[in-house]
Amino acid sequence: MSRFAALFWLFAVTILSVVGSTVVRADESEARRLLTEVILYDGERQDVAVEALGEEGAEIIKVVVEAWRVGEVSTTTRAEGEELALLKTPEGWFNILTGDEEVPSGEVTINRPSRKLRKTLKQLVDLLDLSSSDPAERIAAVEKLGLRQKAEYVELLRERVTKQTDPKVQRAFEEALSISLLVNGTVEERLQAVKDLGELKSFPARDFIDVLVAENEAVIADDAAAEEDKEAAKDLLAAAVSAKEKIDSRQKAVEVAGTIFRGLSLGSVLLLVSYGLAITFGLMGVINMAHGEFIAIGGYTVYLVQGYFAQTFGEGTAAYEWYFAVALPAAFLVAAFFGVVLERGVIQFLYRRPLESLLATWGVSMIIQQLIRMKFGAANVAVSSPQWLSGSVEMGGVTMTNNRLFVIGFALFVIVATWLLLTKTNWGLHVRATMQNRQMASSLGVRSTRVNMMTFAFGSGLAGLAGAFLSQIGNVGPSMGQTYIVDSFMVVVVGGVGSLLGAALSSLGIGMIDQTLQPILGPVMGKISVLLGIILFLQFKPGGLFPSKSRSLDD
Amino acid sequence: MAVGLASGISAVSAADDTVKVGVLHSLSGTMAISETSLRDVLLFTFDEINAAGGVLGKKIEPVVVDGASDWPLFAEKAEQLLVQDKAAVTFGCWTSVSRKSVLPVFEKYNGLLFYPVQYEGEEMSKNIFYTAEAVGQQAIPAVDFLLEEGYKKFYLIGTDYVYPQTTNIVLFEYLLSKGISVENIGGGLRKDSEGKVISAGNYTPFGHADFQQIVADIKKFSASGEACVINTINGDANVPFFKEFASSGLTSDDCPVVSFSLSEDEFRALPAKDLVGHLGCWTYFMSIESAANKKFIADFNTWLGKTDVPGIVKENRVTCSPMVLSYDGVYIWKAAVEKAGSFDVDKVREALLSGDVSFDGPGGTVTAQKNHHLTKTVYIGETLETGQFSIIKTLPDVYGEPFLKGTFEKK
Repeated sequence: MSRFAALFWLFAVTILSVVGSTVVRADESEARRLLTEVILYDGERQDVAVEALGEEGAEIIKVVVEAWRVGEVSTTTRAEGEELALLKTPEGWFNILTGDEEVPSGEVTINRPSRKLRKTLKQLVDLLDLSSSDPAERIAAVEKLGLRQKAEYVELLRERVTKQTDPKVQRAFEEALSISLLVNGTVEERLQAVKDLGELKSFPARDFIDVLVAENEAVIADDAAAEEDKEAAKDLLAAAVSAKEKIDSRQKAVEVAGTIFRGLSLGSVLLLVSYGLAITFGLMGVINMAHGEFIAIGGYTVYLVQGYFAQTFGEGTAAYEWYFAVALPAAFLVAAFFGVVLERGVIQFLYRRPLESLLATWGVSMIIQQLIRMKFGAANVAVSSPQWLSGSVEMGGVTMTNNRLFVIGFALFVIVATWLLLTKTNWGLHVRATMQNRQMASSLGVRSTRVNMMTFAFGSGLAGLAGAFLSQIGNVGPSMGQTYIVDSFMVVVVGGVGSLLGAALSSLGIGMIDQTLQPILGPVMGKISVLLGIILFLQFKPGGLFPSKSRSLDD
Repeated sequence: MAVGLASGISAVSAADDTVKVGVLHSLSGTMAISETSLRDVLLFTFDEINAAGGVLGKKIEPVVVDGASDWPLFAEKAEQLLVQDKAAVTFGCWTSVSRKSVLPVFEKYNGLLFYPVQYEGEEMSKNIFYTAEAVGQQAIPAVDFLLEEGYKKFYLIGTDYVYPQTTNIVLFEYLLSKGISVENIGGGLRKDSEGKVISAGNYTPFGHADFQQIVADIKKFSASGEACVINTINGDANVPFFKEFASSGLTSDDCPVVSFSLSEDEFRALPAKDLVGHLGCWTYFMSIESAANKKFIADFNTWLGKTDVPGIVKENRVTCSPMVLSYDGVYIWKAAVEKAGSFDVDKVREALLSGDVSFDGPGGTVTAQKNHHLTKTVYIGETLETGQFSIIKTLPDVYGEPFLKGTFEKK
């Protein structure tokens, strides 16, 4: 580590000698040369290059180190015998030494850094990020630096903390400095650091404060310790205990907020998977056991669209990133099309025979599953998330992943769009009329067969949309529908068959309860308790949250 | 079942110059995805041995039966193999629950079963030979590696059944013995009325799809750094777990996950970029650079190309540890039979337990031990974006010890 410390100082001096946070970006050529050395050679020559690399501050270092980690750096030999280090991008190969595009003539072999080298390089990049122009990167880098609690970082952090203008970044720097001072500071500094961390309600500091508590308790209990040490230890201990309390209470609040968010997102997933069923089963009265397979059809549509984009534009390109935006409507349309086929082929003959529709759709569900297996194989297929859907944002300590935020928004959109369609359009009026009384509606001139077909297609399309979204958070496989069919029926029945609002509320309710119980009872018992709760609920309210009221004698 | 029928037909031509060998795996149901690969590699091995002259001059005649991921059915099929077909040896089972359900059958009829999939230990039947990785050949070396790397906090998660529960309780005891404090072992503990820990770690049902809470908990747990995750989640529940893990901003640099149920075969259905840098520990990796391994992979693919087994997947096949341990198992049995000079189960067992039956397999030399397990080489690997492992550590000749629970002294 001592060599790294030396390297670090060289680096720190280089950075500090440059005014502000703009680092020597003008000249990357030296960094490029060193990177090529590090990649092409090993042993001493590599060590020397790595050390020298610490003095460079070029952006290219970060790009190459990250690419190296995921296998996008390769080596090749030119015809004249010159060895090259290449960077793979969606646009092609680039020579790391010159930055020019390169069409490799010989064999290209993927080059990989050793675990140890990667660690060293990662630390180098973290230091680089400390002066990044992106506040988020600065925060991430300084957090890691603080956690290492190295004495040599203290001065640098002190220097930097005053220069930060963004309050969030400044907070992160203060936090890192305080964590570092917990071990590296004088007695007064340590005391102040503990207090500061308590004020900052720093989560990462909690474990370090725990250590501090244990240490000081030991000092106080130790008879051999000097009296003044004991006094200092008592002060520290008191400060540490109060800081811990502050952090813990904050952590509790964050957990509650997090649980609400997670309940909302699970509720939205449930809502998406069950809304289609709320229409085909709830409104139309078809016990549609093939609902899950329409979800699977949506998932596989995304897989196909992704494959098409990867083939046409290449994986990782800007156009590829938007495949999901195309896949969503495609999943809706494909599933809706299959819905039309099912309605015309089977269900139209069974509207007055719900039990037969159960058996028939169950058969159809097995046929679809088997067709999927024959076409795509029994194993699950891999669907990758586009950049804009992966990653997360943090708000008040709660991590909210982008895909979860997206599903919440998307569920809202589905609710509103369905409501508008059913209540504000002519088609919606016809749907409601037909669902209430098929014969009466058709005798009043509503083309009820057409309405039936379109409604079933709409419900199936919604299931397809749900499948498209599920591909981003879970498995896409032949039996993916089976995982969700029980949940879907549960939501619809609890909500009240026939009530779309009921389905929305019940999915949110079930999601919330599930997420609240999980941290207390664990995932297994949590799930069991939710099911038990639903059984009890249905004992007292067999019609669900919003039982349908009807003057018909059948109901 | 089609396969079972097909092999049944070929059995008509059976004569005295053949020996019947049972293959007992799930070829339908949830486990079919994994177990079908083992059936394939076993049929390949039999063909390879038959082409080289068979065992004791007799050709192997496979009797393939389908356990259909249905545990009581496994026991019925085992009885059929032993009583009706009089199979000299059976290769089969994947889940621990299927092994537990056939165990009494093999003991009743004095049969011989070779079991190839990593398992929790705490079992040693005289009628079962475990070519599988015991906890000491997978979980313990992996934890040792993480300790060496300087990790100080361990979060345990798994699927709620016998393998993860038992493995994690052994690991819990092991971590305590290595000086890791209880607070630094995450996932929660369950104690009995006397305060003895009976379950360590966070468990989810099979096919669990919502890992938000667990990942949030891991994020909290790893906030102070130097934390890692020990993952015994089984099957496709790994996909939502790794997707949630990656999108919440955790990476293998901050908090690596070492998984015991994910091999090359499972990676085919996982988004590889979410897995880069996470760790695996097995006694075989497809990426082993040895002549024996290269020959094995090439021969297997050639065999796949020309075989006429109905419904077999021929493209994009990979090899993984359970497959190689099935392959090794057949050769270990062959060596024992040749040493004993007989197919008789008692004599073969005696030969197996003599301690000098070994085989140079694709993953290195494996030697049969007196306690029904194999001494073998353990590899620790790091996942690459290609769905392969890059080997970062090799531990030769690791002894297989099934009984580890309660053997570690707490510091």
